[in-house]
Amino acid sequence: MRGTRALFPLLILFLAMGLILSACGSKTAAPNEGGSPSAGQTDANGTTSDQGTAKKKYIVGSDAAYAPFESVAPNGEIVGLDIDFVKKLAEVGGFEVEVKNIAWDPLFEAVKNGEVDFAASAITITDERKQTYDFTDPYFVANQLILVPEGSDVTKFEDLKTKRVAVQNSTTGHEAVKKLLGATSPQIKPFESTPLAIQDMLINGSDAVVADNAVVMEFVKQNPDKKLKIIEDPTFEKEYYGLLVKKGNQELLDTLNAAIKKLKENGGLKEIFGQDLK
Amino acid sequence: MDFRWDIVWAYRALFLNGIWLTILLTVVGVAFGLILGLLFGLGKISKYKLLSMPSILYITFFRGTPLYVQILLIHFAVIPSIFGESKGPVFSGMVALSLNSGAYIAEIFRAGIQSIGKGQMEAARSLGLTHGQAMAHIILPQAFKRMIPPLGNEFIALLKDSSLLAAISAPELANASRIIQGSTLRPWEAYFPAAVLYLILTLILSRIVHGLERRFSNEGRTS
Repeated sequence: MRGTRALFPLLILFLAMGLILSACGSKTAAPNEGGSPSAGQTDANGTTSDQGTAKKKYIVGSDAAYAPFESVAPNGEIVGLDIDFVKKLAEVGGFEVEVKNIAWDPLFEAVKNGEVDFAASAITITDERKQTYDFTDPYFVANQLILVPEGSDVTKFEDLKTKRVAVQNSTTGHEAVKKLLGATSPQIKPFESTPLAIQDMLINGSDAVVADNAVVMEFVKQNPDKKLKIIEDPTFEKEYYGLLVKKGNQELLDTLNAAIKKLKENGGLKEIFGQDLK
Repeated sequence: MDFRWDIVWAYRALFLNGIWLTILLTVVGVAFGLILGLLFGLGKISKYKLLSMPSILYITFFRGTPLYVQILLIHFAVIPSIFGESKGPVFSGMVALSLNSGAYIAEIFRAGIQSIGKGQMEAARSLGLTHGQAMAHIILPQAFKRMIPPLGNEFIALLKDSSLLAAISAPELANASRIIQGSTLRPWEAYFPAAVLYLILTLILSRIVHGLERRFSNEGRTS
């Protein structure tokens, strides 16, 4: 009697374990990522071995919520300056690319674990990130801008010391503000995206936003009625965007750098971003 | 406030895909949550420490920590350390939602079972049924009827909570809003339709639960 009684729940437990595991196994092939058929063969090093003489295909991760660098067009297509850039790279480099939309924080993890071969998402090259990832040569110069409402008394970065500052979480703007206000200052309000940070300022939840020039300028252009002021501060260091590659994937790094070099030489880079980078 | 319907219309495909994944995530979460809930609910009331201790630990952890944190932990730490790589945000999301709802459903099962009078078990046993048979044929059917309303609550909560998966970029409804907000720089057109769509989904779900409730209570009355 005792024996069977103890066995019964145990049995269900094992049965269910089996069920869960088998379901887990089958679910990995589920609809998921909107289908990247040839990505199936991508190995840990990010080298895709397609059949025959077909071009190599790389899966590119991008957080497409960052106009004008990467955003989603109404038809669902991922578009933007970075996307134009990788497509041009593929053209001159003789490979194919497929862009996958991945949110900012998981994007870094996706590069690390090989879910994507590299990331193109307005990513600033920093020493801290270089410890965990490899970067290609820079392809864009960015600088941080301060965005404030028209009537604000802020004129330079130092003035933010007494203000509430909204930023996009774990961006370089966030880093800069952390240096000024202290890493754990309650005056810093990190948001999931730059547009959200700006929205927070518009509803008076914060006094200023520190973010990348291109996005700030795009927002002001799109919202002329919002009465905003852009402040440039020369103390912000210049930043360079690079493509993010898994640490140690030298082959891919060489391929991308060679293509970037070609684009710099033939003026393709200037055509896309409107700036020269030597 | 100028609301631009043309933006909402233009991005309808993104919203629609979001709805489908939201439904899929909820259905999977409910299905596995029910299995886990039954197991761990029974486990928790078991007399055997070997069964009750793991159940109590599991329930305590998943009810005592925020789902948002669980999602990040499971996606970034648990899944990669088990499989050696990410299985994608949808998979992580399904695991997180199932485990989380399993813990809540376990408590619903436990409460449902314990709400059935002791006499029912005693009577069943005196008729010669084993403990397991009595549980399966006498106790659980009665308990299930009482569990329908709280289960309905849990399913609705789960449907709304699936929006937290936007954090790991599972392309569900809230993530669609996130992308549209980031692409158009407009919050209303991105989040208002999502709110309406979630509302429609939860209304449908609560109708289904209500229907189930009525059906089971009628059955109880006529037989």
